[in-house]
Amino acid sequence: MRLIPLLLYAAAAAAYAAHFAWRDPRIGRFATALLGSGLVAHTFLIGMQTVQAGHAPLVGTTAAVSAFIWLLGLAYLYVELTSDERAMGVFVAVLLVALGIIPALDPELSRRPPLLQSPLFTIHVMAMLFAYASFALAGVLGVTYVLMFKEIKAKHLGFFYTRLPSLRVLDMMNGRAVIVGWIFLTIGVLVGAIWATQVQNSPDPRAQAMSLSDPKILVAIVSWGLYSFAVYARRAIGWSGRRAAWLSTIGFVLVLLNFVPVGYFLTRSHNF
Amino acid sequence: MRLFAVGLSHRTAPIELRERVDFGRAGIEAALDGLARRNVGREIAVLSTCNRAEVYVAAETEGAVEEIFSFFADHHGAAPSEITPHLYVHHGADVARHLFRVAAGLDSLVVGEPQILGQVKAAYTIASDAHFTGTVLNRLFHLAFAAGKRVRSETGLGEGAVSVSYAAIALARKIFGDLSSLRVLIIGAGEMAKLTGIHLRAQNVRGIGIASRTRLGAERLAAQLAAEVIDWTEMNAAIADADILVTATGAPSAILTRDDLARAMKSRRDRALFVIDIAVPRDVEPEAGEVDQVFLYNIDDLQGIVKENLARRSAELERADAIVAAETAKFATWLQSREIIPTVVALRDRFEAIRRAELQRLQPKLNALPPEAQAQVDHITRLIVEKLLLTPTEQLKAVSDHSLAATYSDALNRLFSLPSPDQTVEEDPTPGKRTQS
Repeated sequence: MRLIPLLLYAAAAAAYAAHFAWRDPRIGRFATALLGSGLVAHTFLIGMQTVQAGHAPLVGTTAAVSAFIWLLGLAYLYVELTSDERAMGVFVAVLLVALGIIPALDPELSRRPPLLQSPLFTIHVMAMLFAYASFALAGVLGVTYVLMFKEIKAKHLGFFYTRLPSLRVLDMMNGRAVIVGWIFLTIGVLVGAIWATQVQNSPDPRAQAMSLSDPKILVAIVSWGLYSFAVYARRAIGWSGRRAAWLSTIGFVLVLLNFVPVGYFLTRSHNF
Repeated sequence: MRLFAVGLSHRTAPIELRERVDFGRAGIEAALDGLARRNVGREIAVLSTCNRAEVYVAAETEGAVEEIFSFFADHHGAAPSEITPHLYVHHGADVARHLFRVAAGLDSLVVGEPQILGQVKAAYTIASDAHFTGTVLNRLFHLAFAAGKRVRSETGLGEGAVSVSYAAIALARKIFGDLSSLRVLIIGAGEMAKLTGIHLRAQNVRGIGIASRTRLGAERLAAQLAAEVIDWTEMNAAIADADILVTATGAPSAILTRDDLARAMKSRRDRALFVIDIAVPRDVEPEAGEVDQVFLYNIDDLQGIVKENLARRSAELERADAIVAAETAKFATWLQSREIIPTVVALRDRFEAIRRAELQRLQPKLNALPPEAQAQVDHITRLIVEKLLLTPTEQLKAVSDHSLAATYSDALNRLFSLPSPDQTVEEDPTPGKRTQS
C-alpha cells in the first residue's frame, strides 16, 4: 500500500519526461492524471496513518519527507492547472520520486513523544513543509531559467528553448514562489522559536538541544537569511532573472541538505 | 456516391493564373450557387486561398468533372484551354488524402504554415451554412480538421520561424513573453529598419522610438510607423529605457561598443535587453553580447535559426505524412462502407420482399393457425432472412478496395437482379443522414 503513491509518481515522472521530449498533449494529460492519482493514493495513505497513530503523521524526518512530497505535488498540480504549463512537471516529478524512496523504505511511524503534543508543533512543521515545497518549485524554475538563459545567450536554440515558457514568465513565477516560501519559512521559524522557549524546562535532551548551535536550526536560519536576501534583492535592488534564479537554486540545495542528510544524521534537536 | 475534387494550386498554376481564378472569400457563395446550377453534385464545397482554388464534390455520377472544368473557365471568363491544363482531379480516398495534406499545411507554399487550416474551416462553414454539404463532405472536412490539428500538435511541422523577422519576434517572445508592454528602439532609418519596424508594430508593442543620424530620415520613418523620434544625442538614454534594440544603420563600423551597452544596462538592473543587429557591417560590437542580460543577435545568427528551423520542418514531414495516411485510411474505410450501402439495402429489400410474398401466398393456410403460431411463423421467417444476410452484410461492409466493392456490387445486382443503386440510394439507412440538393 505504501508503495502505490511512489509507483504512481514514478509513472508520472516517466510520462512527464515523454511529454517533455515529444510534446504530445495526450501524454501530457496522461502524466497529469498519473500525478493526480498518485496524490490521491498518498492522501489516502496519510489519512490511514493519521487514524492509526491518532495524530497527523508529522513526527520524524521520514514522515516529514512524506508530507513534503505530498505538499509539493499538490502545489505543483495547482501551478500546472492554473498556468496550463506542463514543462516543469518532469523536474518536479523526478524530485518526488527521489524523495519518495525514503518513506517507502522506512515505513515505521514514529510515536509522538509527549514533548510534541502542542498545536505549535503542528503549525511549525506544516509551515516549514509548505515553505520547502514553494522553494522546491522556485528551485526548479531557477534551474530551468538558467538552462534556457544559456541557450538563448549562446544562440543555440535547442531542447529547452522549444519546450519552456518565456524567461520572463519563469522569472515571475520564481519570484512568487520565493515570496510564498519566505512567508511560510518566517512563520515556521518564529513558531518553532516560541515553542522551543516553552519546552525549555522539559527533561527531554532534544528540548535542551534547541539552540543555534544545532546544525538543523543553524542551516534553517541561514536559509531564512538567504531567502530574505532574495526577496529584498528583487524588490529593492532589482535582482531578477539569472541572479534570482541562481539564488533560488542554491537556496533549495541548502533546504534539501538540511531536510535529508542533516535531518537524519547531524541534528540533536530534531531527531524524533 | 462519387467523391472528387477539381482544382489548381501553386504546384500546377503560375501566379498570374491563380490571381485570375481566385474566388475570394466573399465570392465562394456565388461559386457554390454557380456549381449547383450546373448540377455537379449533391454536396459541394469551394476552397479558395491566394495559392489554391479547389472544388470538392460528392455526386451520384462521375460525369460532373467535365462540368466543373468548364465552370472554372466560364466563372472567371477565361477560355477552357487556358485553365484546364492546370487543373488536377482527385477521386475517392485520394480526395481525402489531398484535403488532409492541404489542411495540415503539407501542400502549402511555406510548408507547415498555420493559416490554411482556418481557410479550410472557412470553406466548410460557408458551404455548410448555405446547405451545400451532406454526410460525405461533413465527414471529409471534419476529418480534415482533425488531421490538421493532429499534425500541428503531434509534430514540429508548424514550429520555428522561417523568416528572419519572425525568428526575431519568436526570440523576443521567448525572452519577454508578452510583447505588448515592451519599448522598442530602432537605430537607423533605412529599408531594413522600416521592415523590422513594421513587423514589431504588428506585434502591438507599447512604443517605438527611432534614432537616426539624419533627423529627416528618422522623422519620415517615425511618421510611417506611428513612432517617436529620438534625438541622436539622447540615444544612450533611450537604450537604457528600451527592451528591444534594433540596429540597422549603414555605418562602416560598430556604433555601439560593449562599454556602451554595459553602461546602459547599469541603470536598468536585471531587465533584459534584446539587441537585434541587422546591419551589415555590424552596428554592435560582438563582445557586447557578453554583458549580463543582453541578448545580442546579428543577421547571421537569425538566418542560422531560420535555416535550422527549415531543416527541422522537413524532418517532421515524415511524421506528418504518417498522420495524414492514418486519417486517410479512416476515411477510405468509411467511404467504402458507404459505397456498398445501396447494394446492401437493395439486397435486404429483395429478401424481405420474397419473405412477404411467400407469407402472402401462404396466408390462407396460415389463417387456420392460432394467432400466436402465426406470429411465430412471421418471427421465424424474419430470423432466417436476418441470419442469411448477416455474414454477407458484414463481409460487404468490410471491403476496403474500390474495385472489389464494385465487383461485388455488380455480382449481387446480377445474381439477385436488384434495382440499380441510383434508385435505392434514398433509402440509405445510415442514421443521421441528411440529403440536400
